[in-house]
Amino acid sequence: MRPHRFDLSVSEPIKIDIWSDIACPWCYIGKRHLEAGIEALGADAPDVEIEYHSFELSPDTPLDFEGSTVEYLADRKGMPVERVEQMLEHVTGVAANAGLDYHFEKVAHTKTLKAHELLHFAKANGKQLELKERLLKAYFVEGGRVNRIDQLVGYAAEVGLDADAARDALESGRYASDVQADIAQAGAYGINGVPFFVIDGKYGISGAQPAEVFSQAIAQISGERVA
Amino acid sequence: MSDAVANGTPVASDPAIRPTDAAASPFTMVAGDPSAMVCEGDVCFVPGATPEA
Repeated sequence: MRPHRFDLSVSEPIKIDIWSDIACPWCYIGKRHLEAGIEALGADAPDVEIEYHSFELSPDTPLDFEGSTVEYLADRKGMPVERVEQMLEHVTGVAANAGLDYHFEKVAHTKTLKAHELLHFAKANGKQLELKERLLKAYFVEGGRVNRIDQLVGYAAEVGLDADAARDALESGRYASDVQADIAQAGAYGINGVPFFVIDGKYGISGAQPAEVFSQAIAQISGERVA
Repeated sequence: MSDAVANGTPVASDPAIRPTDAAASPFTMVAGDPSAMVCEGDVCFVPGATPEA
């Protein structure tokens, strides 16, 4: 997947900074809604540049939780299993409406810091958007272990990154400080939940908003630039 | 909760960017759909409503 590039109607691309986690079902849905919102602008769409930033939703997640998503959430929230199943069914339905085939029965709960390190490596090598999509699909659709270096290197190679360089980046922890810098920046901005979108460095959009919200915001910002 | 996700979609005539009371944010917040889901920690929810998965 290439970065979204459309015909220019303004001199500089509109920057969209997105704070999100891999283990965030509404981040993937929000990603699809943003993409749909941009596509909906058609020929009027301005040039946009998207950059993802790291956010760790649940730092105390075990590195390798072996139970099911239902068990994980029921235990953590102290909620009845039936209620958790209903919630997962709801999220799965909304994801399906966005074109995503979620399989919570496959999801392997884990810490996502290594995946975020790989996203920074990918950004440095011009493949962040491709890898973000690959990691979200791995987590929510395929049940991939996004904390394991061998699997992460595989995902990196699939999107065209150098496997050896990716492994070296992960094993060295070279990008760990960049991940923490993103998380700290979110804190400084008062971002407590994700997905969180910052458009043109000025406008904030919180949550998995409908595509129409993104379309309108981008069109309005583009119009303000032209005016 | 599932109905709220769909029902809050703004109409085309709504101004996209309206100030909100997000005092902690340095950004001008786009009001958007108040039922849009946000995740914090292990839970996802409509702000002000019951936690979701």
